[in-house]
Amino acid sequence: MLKSLLSRWFSEYGMIFVLALLCVFFSVVTVSEQSPSGEGAAKQLAGLIQSQFGSKPRVLIVVRDQPEELAFAAALEREISAAGGQVLGNVKGEPRDAREVLVKLSAANASLDTIACTQPVSAWLVFADLEKDFPALGNPRLLKPVPYRWPNFLKAENLLNITNQIAVIAIVAIGMTMVIITGGIDLSVGSLIALAAVLATLLIREFGGSLQASAFSMTCACLVAITACGCVGAFSGAMITIFRIPPFIVTLAMMLVASGLAYILAQGQSVYQIPDSFVWLGRGADVLGIPNAVLLMLVLYGAAHVLMSKMRLGRYIYAVGGNREAARLSGVRVERVLMFAYVASALVAGLGGVIMASQLKSGSPTYGSMYELYVIAAVVVGGASLSGGQGKMLGTLIGAFTIAVIQNGMNLTNVESYTQKVVLGLVILAAVLIDTVRHRK
Amino acid sequence: MQRRALAALALSLMIVAGCGPSSNSNAPDATPGGSAGAGAAPDQLAKSGAQSKGTIGVSLLTLENPFFKVIGDNIVSAGKEHGYSTIVVSGDKDVAKQSNQIKDFIVKKVSAIVLSPCDSKSIIPVIQEANAAGIPVLTVDIPCNEPGVKIVTQVATDNFGGGREAADAMIEALGEAGGKVAILHFKQAESCQLRVKGFREVIDAHNAKSNSKIEIAMELEGGGAKDMGLKATEDSLQAHPDLRGIFAINDPSALGARAALEKAGKAENVVIIGFDGQPEGKQAIKEGKIYADPIQFPDQMGIKIVDAIIRHSKGETLPGQMLIPTKLYRQADAAADPELK
Repeated sequence: MLKSLLSRWFSEYGMIFVLALLCVFFSVVTVSEQSPSGEGAAKQLAGLIQSQFGSKPRVLIVVRDQPEELAFAAALEREISAAGGQVLGNVKGEPRDAREVLVKLSAANASLDTIACTQPVSAWLVFADLEKDFPALGNPRLLKPVPYRWPNFLKAENLLNITNQIAVIAIVAIGMTMVIITGGIDLSVGSLIALAAVLATLLIREFGGSLQASAFSMTCACLVAITACGCVGAFSGAMITIFRIPPFIVTLAMMLVASGLAYILAQGQSVYQIPDSFVWLGRGADVLGIPNAVLLMLVLYGAAHVLMSKMRLGRYIYAVGGNREAARLSGVRVERVLMFAYVASALVAGLGGVIMASQLKSGSPTYGSMYELYVIAAVVVGGASLSGGQGKMLGTLIGAFTIAVIQNGMNLTNVESYTQKVVLGLVILAAVLIDTVRHRK
Repeated sequence: MQRRALAALALSLMIVAGCGPSSNSNAPDATPGGSAGAGAAPDQLAKSGAQSKGTIGVSLLTLENPFFKVIGDNIVSAGKEHGYSTIVVSGDKDVAKQSNQIKDFIVKKVSAIVLSPCDSKSIIPVIQEANAAGIPVLTVDIPCNEPGVKIVTQVATDNFGGGREAADAMIEALGEAGGKVAILHFKQAESCQLRVKGFREVIDAHNAKSNSKIEIAMELEGGGAKDMGLKATEDSLQAHPDLRGIFAINDPSALGARAALEKAGKAENVVIIGFDGQPEGKQAIKEGKIYADPIQFPDQMGIKIVDAIIRHSKGETLPGQMLIPTKLYRQADAAADPELK
């Protein structure tokens, strides 16, 4: 029973194994030294200093001006002072600030036993030749917390980073999945992202009170922008259903129209006169440190999954894509279903544009270029068939993550841009190949 | 069926793995004293800094333009000389993509970030993130002079000076007769605005003290590209059949202008001054199709960036902007240029 359930899952979501393998692969190749910081590291380093320089060491603490390292510096100073040591200075900032303090200390002829710092600080060249540059200090030793090894890829902040990066593409892919399951395609989503981003920011700038815009007016602006995209989708849907123009042509035309509109509205410039609070949607993280955009993505996927697998409309979408004529004969109102798919696709593209504008705190007509291709790639990697009738929402989510993991992993492993394109292309091809092989009995 | 799926899976992993080793080898280890494991004595770890000084993360506007490719290549080579490993990625003029790349750099804890922003407004939030993480940010070619962001320095061509040199070349080429000239602009780019400003300033000064007046008859959008340059030049020839000179703000638009002149049979009557010194432009200068170019030095920009990173890390205070002067490149220079066959 369990076995058959597992194997069903296997065949439906085979891509999840590719994703898992990719994660393992990138975890292995991105293992590198991590420098611990925070209170634990400070205690450990204080112990090390005492063991090397006795109970009354003369220490200079140097850290960068960022929360983690500041906490480290404060804890270290406390530990050393408590043990009877002398902290001659606590530098928080850039190499320049460190040099200033070193110059001051050597002018005062103060001798130092050690300079305690974090790992990134220890690489500063200002400490490269202390003996020669600051002889008065008596050649202090540079000490930092003992590093540990851990994959960069698996750090919590990187995993959040990946999900946040893919949120827009994943959300837009929800609509694309529906369209592709009906046997169509929507090439206009990239341009709709730009249109929504420009519209939302422009409305805030012109009518919402610009930098003083309230949350309410910002929400309205975003809703208007998303609705406008929905109208574009409705127009595409009408062209496809009423005039029977192939979706490829209609949405290609709308791609140009929407992109052009975005450029006209924004006059080719980016629109940035919007309040700081606008970034709440794209960069805020109110629940458990999960970014709001990611939460929204998860909720939308949940809803879309239910729609596609449990509701009548979902079954109709599959039916229309599987065999349009049969669906029509069995009483499905094919036109309405198609209309729904294109409007939904445009609406989520609009939402994606609003999120992107929020992430970047500005709207520009250049946003979203080529995104239609990434979105289609995510859907196809997720197992949907371009000939329609097949595909799963959760598969698309996995597909989107596969693409994000590959891109992020390659950035982390220093793969340069040209190679990244080649690898991404090959991986998409390989993923689809596996899927095809798996389905061919 | 199962077996074939496995084989395909293995194949795809091999593809991915294929890029692994090479990528690892050019990034030995980002951390100083990288070879020492967690168990090694702390003394050993402390005596670091000699082998690898860390990684420089570079995100350029695009790598399709050879200009940026040269900048990237020179950051890599100059960085290697000084013990840095470097990763160069292309923002592909997509600011969202560039933001993601910078975020990946921050997670990777690079020692410095170099970028030429795809959009100086939309890139602000992510530069602020890098600032908050304590990672120094430098810009190359394209500035980000926005409030609220901390940039160590900006390395760029002295575009204003280059525009002045272009005007010198124009005055030299037109000689005693003077005449009407047109400017092929690319208004969106701040760098091009500076070029035109420098150009106009010298022409105005020249007109004030000389009898051979040069009249800037029109300023057209040349799009910085061949096709747009061609159209704009055709239009300007319609408006001013007696045009004697064209200043194009880069090589592609200059070459577009040349094509239009050849088409109209006026190639011998009108002088073109370009900008940049891309290989194609230099070749055109050698063949006498373009009179001269103030040329930029992207290689120097790459070297200067690494120099700035090192100076910053040594604790020096850097000027907000480091400008690299252009040099006027005429047919005689092209004839002596070993790069041109």
